[in-house]
Parts: sequence; structure tokens; C-alpha cells
Amino acid sequence: MILDTCSKVAVCVAQTGETYACATDESLLRGMLRLGRKGIPAGCVNGGCGVCKVRIVEGRVHALGPVSRAHVSADEECTGMTLACRVAPACAVTLEVAGRLSRPFSRGPAAAASPQSTQMNQRGDERWV
Amino acid sequence: MGVMRIGHASLRVMDIDAAVKHYENVLGLKTTMVDRAGNVYLKCWDEWDKYSLILTPSDRAGLNHVAYKVEKDADLDLLKQRIEAWGVRTTTLPEGTLPATGRMLQFDLPSGHQMRLYATKEYVGTEVGTQSPDPWPDGLKGAGAHWLDHLLLMCEMNPAAGVNTVADNTRFMNEALDFFLTEQVMVGPDGSIQAATWMACTSTPHDIAFVGAPTSGLHHIAFFLDSWHDVLKAADVMAKTKTRIDVAPTRHGITRGETIYFFDPSGNRNETFAGLGYLAQRDRPVTTWSEERLGSGIFFHTGDLVPSFTEVYT
Repeated sequence: MILDTCSKVAVCVAQTGETYACATDESLLRGMLRLGRKGIPAGCVNGGCGVCKVRIVEGRVHALGPVSRAHVSADEECTGMTLACRVAPACAVTLEVAGRLSRPFSRGPAAAASPQSTQMNQRGDERWV
Repeated sequence: MGVMRIGHASLRVMDIDAAVKHYENVLGLKTTMVDRAGNVYLKCWDEWDKYSLILTPSDRAGLNHVAYKVEKDADLDLLKQRIEAWGVRTTTLPEGTLPATGRMLQFDLPSGHQMRLYATKEYVGTEVGTQSPDPWPDGLKGAGAHWLDHLLLMCEMNPAAGVNTVADNTRFMNEALDFFLTEQVMVGPDGSIQAATWMACTSTPHDIAFVGAPTSGLHHIAFFLDSWHDVLKAADVMAKTKTRIDVAPTRHGITRGETIYFFDPSGNRNETFAGLGYLAQRDRPVTTWSEERLGSGIFFHTGDLVPSFTEVYT
């Protein structure tokens, strides 16, 4: 887009091979939402609720703010685990989706688009008990 | 008389400066005190006690404790007996454990959330005073919230394992603390599982609410506004300050509240709401929502449940 002059890098989701463009000043989660996959959880986007857990497999990211220790332990942090809402890519990145965030990626792209699985997705995600 | 109203909430925040800025500039609270440990105490303009919110620097988000104010100091002794007779252990924290606050009775709800009761807190007055007051003060920031009104706790629930701390909390609050049930959500094949409850000790539809979840946590703390237009203006403030809005202005079927949900900079959910709904009374019949109509109970206009609203909490 001609109005979009932000520099972007490629972010790859290891489990599915999907790639999206993400600006170096926006969160990995914000970019990921543009994949249009159903059920990607955008929670508090402030590092507190822990629904957007990822592990950085390749590349570097920089912090946009603190990440709750209740959701990413010090040991996990050492292995590259973080919350996608709290980091932006510094260069091309490969990430693994983890925890709650792996659910929308566990269905193949084709299955995610079919009406039947969409309905299952809504029911499955929205039950209270 | 026992419990009068919610007194304060103590929240963990991961960036204290960002949190103070949020509660001052977006909600309109003012800082009244900072203690030696770096905890920040704030109040709304229409509240008369020293503080209603404590922000604690931490490496995570969530609720430390919620406190309710009782009418008389002697109520604490009576309630201690009743709470322990119910089967919940209590600890008495001496005056000064929290600054400007009298002795507190501390205990855990069946859901594991820490609750405290106290009878005295330093009086500082509302910002308009008591003598022929103006209806509102000058210089309000952001939404200009009147008072901390209630909170909603996510409570561990696993029907298959026979765990339902929503029901346990509800019984405890009723039997030990004299709260009364105003609304409930009943789910399951024969509608026999109490999955969410709203309870009052004042005359408003809820002073506390409990919702079933895989693990216990804080869903939101809520602040009161005058009118639907103030809710709209609060949303404008959030857009101006780039505050993450969770649910844009709408109405709840449950409690009839006009509402907007958003997150503080550590991801603790806030609500500003208007409309006192109805006069909550001990003899008012309890409202029940079925699993099929739950969507309308939560968001009356769309009737759709938003996954982030039910799954995301701190």
C-alpha cells in the first residue's frame, strides 16, 4: 500500500509455515491477526493475561513492555518464550505458537475456513464450563 | 449491620508509572498516598475515604485482595465468628497493616481469592465536600469516575470433578456475610449448575460477581459513571489515550448495566459503567439466565459471546 511506509519483516509460524509481514515497531500479535485466521486470541494485549504465548525460534525481537511472570517463567524466557503482544520483530523471525495460541493453528488453513469447523470453533471457544 | 460496601481493590501491576498514569488520566482517580514499599493509593472524586485502589509493583498482573467496609468495629468480631463457623479460617491484621486503615479481618474465599473486611479508614472527604456542594468538581481528568463499584472474580470450576467455587462462594457470601443473590446463570443439561452469580449488599444489582473458569483470577474491577453519555465519553478518552478497549459501549442483559470494558497497562481489565439497573432488595426475586440466553445476558444487543471476554483475565 502506497500509504504504508513502515519497514516490515517476514514472520513465519513454524507449525504451519504461514508467513506474515510485521512492522518492526508493531507487536508480533498485531501482525499475526492480519493472517485472518479465526480464533487468534487478542486478549489484554498488555502482557498480563497470557493468551498469546509464543517461542522465538529464529531471529531477534525487542520488548514493547513487561510480560507477566505468571505466564512466562524465567526458565521459559531463557528458551525464547514470550507473549506475542509484548515484542516486535527486529529482523525476520520464526516463532512457534504455544499454549492457548496454538489452538487456532492446530486446524489446517483449509479446515479453518470451512463452515463446519468455524461453527465448532465458536462453540468450542465460547463455552463457559 | 455488617458489610456496607466495597472498600478497595489491591492490584498487581508490572509498570507502576504506566499504571498510575492510566488510573489518573483515563479513569480520573487521584493519587492520595505512596507508601515506603512503593505501593500507590488512589481514590475517585466522589469517594470520601482515603483510597479505593492500591497499585502494587509486581512481576505479574492480577488481584492481591479485595476489601469491604463494615459499619462498626464490633462487626469484625461478630463476622470473624460467623466466617470461622462457616469453615473458613481468618487472620486479624492489626491497625496500620495498611496505612490510614484500621484493623482488618483477612480470609480466603472458597475460590482462593483473598478478601479483607475493615471498619475504619482515614476520612478525607469528596472533592465537592458536604456543605452546599456542587454536583461535580472542576478539573476532572479522563472518564471522571465517581467510585469503585464492584468487581468480578473468575472462580475455579470443573463440574466433572465436582468443583464449583462459584456456588461455594455464593453460599459463603450469603450465609457468612449476608450478601444476597440478584442474578445467576444456570447451565448444564438440566440447568442445575450455577455457573455465574451476581450478589449485593447495597441496593445496586451487584457489589461482587463470580463466574466459573478453569482457574481463579480477576475478571475486572468496575467504576461508576453517571450516564450513557459518560460511557460514550469514556470510550472517547480511551481512543484518545490509545487504551486497549475490550468491549465497545453496549448494554448487559444481566444487571442492565451500560458498559465499556478495557485493560490497564498490565492487562487487568477495567469497566466503566452507568445505570444502576434496578433497586436490589433482599426480597426481590432472583433473575435466572439459561445457557441458551447467556449471550444476551452478557451483551444484550448482539447476543454474541466474545471469546476474549470470557477467556481472558489476570
